Amino acid sequence: MSDAQAVTRVLFEDFAPAAITAFYLIAAAAIAVFGFGVYVGVRKYRRGTAAALEGGLLARFGTMIGTVLSHRTVAYRDRAAGAAHRLIFYGFVLLFIGTSTITLDYDILGPLFGAHFWYGTFYLWFSLVLDVAGVALAAGLLYMMYRRGWLRPPKLDYARPDRQPGDADYDRSGYRREDWAFLWTLLLIVATGYLLEAARLVWLAARPDVWDYRWWSPAGALIALGLRAAGMSAVAGGALRMGLWWFHGLLALVFIALIPFTKVKHILTALGSLMLRDPLAAQRLPKVPAEQPRAGVQYISDFSWKQLLALDACTKCGRCHEACPARAVGAPLSPRDVILSLREFANRTLESAQLPAQAELEVHGKGPGQIAMETLWSCRTCMACVEVCPVAIEHVPVIVQLRRKLVEDGAMDPQLQGTLQTLHKNGNSFGEGRRKRAAWTKALPFAVKDARKEPVDVLWFVGDYASFDPRNQKVSQGLATLLHQAGVDFGILYEGESNAGNDVRRVGEEGLYEVLAAANIKSLSAARFTSIVTTDPHSYNTIRNEYPDFGGSYPIEHYTTLLLRLLQQGRLKIARPLGLRTTFHDPCHLGRFNQGYEAPREILRLLGCELIEMRRCRANSFCCGAGGGRIWMPDPVGADRPAHNRMREAAEIPGLQVYVVSCPKDLTMFEDALKATGNEGRFVVRELIELVREALGHEAAAPVAGIAA
Amino acid sequence: MKVLVAVKQVAALDEDFAIRADGKDVEADFLVRDLNEWDEYSLEEAVKIREATAAAPVEVVAVCAGPEDADEALRKCLAKGADRAVRVWDEAVGGSDAIAIARLIAAVARREKPDLIFAGAQSADHAFAATGIAVAALLEWPHAAVITHLAFTPGAASAVVRRELEGGVLHEMQIDCPAVLTIQLGINTPRYASLRSIKQAAAKPIEVLTPAELGVGPDAVGEDGSLSRVRRMYVPSVKRAQMIEGNVAEQAARLAELIRERTGGAA
Repeated sequence: MSDAQAVTRVLFEDFAPAAITAFYLIAAAAIAVFGFGVYVGVRKYRRGTAAALEGGLLARFGTMIGTVLSHRTVAYRDRAAGAAHRLIFYGFVLLFIGTSTITLDYDILGPLFGAHFWYGTFYLWFSLVLDVAGVALAAGLLYMMYRRGWLRPPKLDYARPDRQPGDADYDRSGYRREDWAFLWTLLLIVATGYLLEAARLVWLAARPDVWDYRWWSPAGALIALGLRAAGMSAVAGGALRMGLWWFHGLLALVFIALIPFTKVKHILTALGSLMLRDPLAAQRLPKVPAEQPRAGVQYISDFSWKQLLALDACTKCGRCHEACPARAVGAPLSPRDVILSLREFANRTLESAQLPAQAELEVHGKGPGQIAMETLWSCRTCMACVEVCPVAIEHVPVIVQLRRKLVEDGAMDPQLQGTLQTLHKNGNSFGEGRRKRAAWTKALPFAVKDARKEPVDVLWFVGDYASFDPRNQKVSQGLATLLHQAGVDFGILYEGESNAGNDVRRVGEEGLYEVLAAANIKSLSAARFTSIVTTDPHSYNTIRNEYPDFGGSYPIEHYTTLLLRLLQQGRLKIARPLGLRTTFHDPCHLGRFNQGYEAPREILRLLGCELIEMRRCRANSFCCGAGGGRIWMPDPVGADRPAHNRMREAAEIPGLQVYVVSCPKDLTMFEDALKATGNEGRFVVRELIELVREALGHEAAAPVAGIAA
Repeated sequence: MKVLVAVKQVAALDEDFAIRADGKDVEADFLVRDLNEWDEYSLEEAVKIREATAAAPVEVVAVCAGPEDADEALRKCLAKGADRAVRVWDEAVGGSDAIAIARLIAAVARREKPDLIFAGAQSADHAFAATGIAVAALLEWPHAAVITHLAFTPGAASAVVRRELEGGVLHEMQIDCPAVLTIQLGINTPRYASLRSIKQAAAKPIEVLTPAELGVGPDAVGEDGSLSRVRRMYVPSVKRAQMIEGNVAEQAARLAELIRERTGGAA
């Protein structure tokens, strides 16, 4: 190895001064175009509203860098695509750093200080690293081509459930062409880079300070051997080198210039979106400031700059499209298409030099880029899209903010409208009198304490379904019996409890949510208790994550963690292990929203049940279809439903005996779905509470025995 | 052009209610109050008239004879599009029958001089179906009851209304304005008043008047001004339906037993 200054690559070797000048001019133009594109983008984002961001920028930056370097979110639930993208990413980054290094040496340190470092040992290692990086980049690109061309996963076909063929923005073939152009352009840049390297080696084969070190560029050296074997002379190599140099250089500059105008922009916008991620985006929806004239989003410029930036981060990877339960049953909603529609709309309106008239910024409707109300009302706010998005797009708040505007206009299903009015009048969605909320306790052989009147250790927030639905009332009586037996000092709020408002808020009726939350916070603040337990994951979510924004911070847990403790402490003793073959359905609001994955599974283990996981479990659990207020809206007649889809998935488990749920709405949805899918008699749906009672030997429990094993 | 919409804050019974000590009404604690359902439709019909014509301005005024808590019903009207709200009350009004209430509405109408007065065909709680018609009588205006369709252009001298008669027959009539129309459910689809719009409506003033300010004397309202009075309110003792418990076989056996008992064993 030599430290000789001669071991390097002479830049612009044999170039006429005019050619060098021309190259710099073209490069400057490319950077100017890039800069203009960035400016247009930033101007577009600044036309949005302010965004509330918590936490320091430095911490956000650190988290973002960690996410990007690890590729955690890109590889999430798609390891092959993650691996290929990692190759592309690291290849690209190394090549970018490499090119910047040359610029640093040649254009900055050299002219300013006469200092150079790009030669000798450093140069040789540099050559090797970049050669390997190029191979990685090419390998990643080739896999992505194989994926798009041969594997053809459905999530990449861009089929839109929210548009009909013939609609102005139905056709997505432009996206497909862009995808291929992107892959081919990058691949062509890599390929010409290697050929260029090889041509230079052939050209300068007579120079030992070049030729002797050729294996530091192994890919280039191999191709050079091939070219020489094919009879290429040094002169021909020189000519080829000059031609390729311009082709490669100009292609790379065009690529750079086009970054802000094409899907390539995600290399910038995804970083921004990841840095702005709100870890509770779906769990804690944005408040509507009292002074804000309009609730929700009517115009594209009503979105925050953060949301407008996130629209640009979408890479159309289709993971949200694949995860969405509404999309899975043929509803006119794909989270991806909501984001892409809004992006197309924002690009058309907010990228122009002059902001168009307000009427042209209206995002509701059926025109190109607009969002139809049928699309918005199809959403279950189950968070599957937010959870799986590799670039931290927060679809749920976008959809709910759009819904807020629909609610203001009364543009909703009549049944939902009636339910909201009932909720306002009676504080529950069942239209029952407030006094009837605790009627289910009358069947118990003991009195349930009134937490409004006496202090309790555990305050049980029961929730609407567990209070009023006859099937769920039996489960509530079961939990009360268990808590009583375990000697837990517990009470309920009786008519002091109102619907917690979680789903009202997700419907977009923010004013009613504020009323319900304020009523509950008033009752809770007047009661004396150590902690709250709830049977309802929806109530759990909003009390835990959203009530603090309204002045109510309470320690709260879902009943599964409390029951697990009681079992572990021996305060509840299992009389007969059940030995049942079970599967467990993670409720969205307990699992994905609040990571309550383990306690129910641990309880099933303690009960002596065998747990067979469904294909979609834990964070990837599949919504029952009731979330986001959908339980108050009729499903289209004849259409598939998420709960039916889920039942068919469960039915694939051989010998399944019990489909275990831990959410009142799940019990309702899945018992219906069990019958509708013809699985009645094959297995049963049970609340976890019911299984605990059975294992404890309670007579009242509906036994699972008799189900064909 | 003005439409006066007479509305009422009605009471719905809560579960397990109790009758007041004087036996004349339900304990207030057990009543859930809301805007009368029929009035939602009549208000919507008025707002639709305003929205249909940009040229001639139409003012929609909601009026209610009721105590302070009736402001809630008026605020809902304001949230749904009423331009103004008027409430008439003082202590003496309590105990008024539908005709006495109509005197107050008619007095407001004399002041407001509307082109049309809408009232619900009836109230959901007391169901006299009399107030609107009594207003027409007091004003000596034409009236039509239980309207299911209305065609009216602001400024026109008459309106065309449709009413549903027995046997699915439609009755279409022309009525001269000013007129009083009582509106039936289903004439339109009332809009949703979001809680936010109701809260914002709280900022709009509700004009509160006393009968005296309207020139209605104390002898014309309340029990003194009413020719009908509530004697008592009660729940008749009736045999209640009974749920047959048990599994299907037990239920069937019990049912057969009951049928045998009732039919003297003939079955």
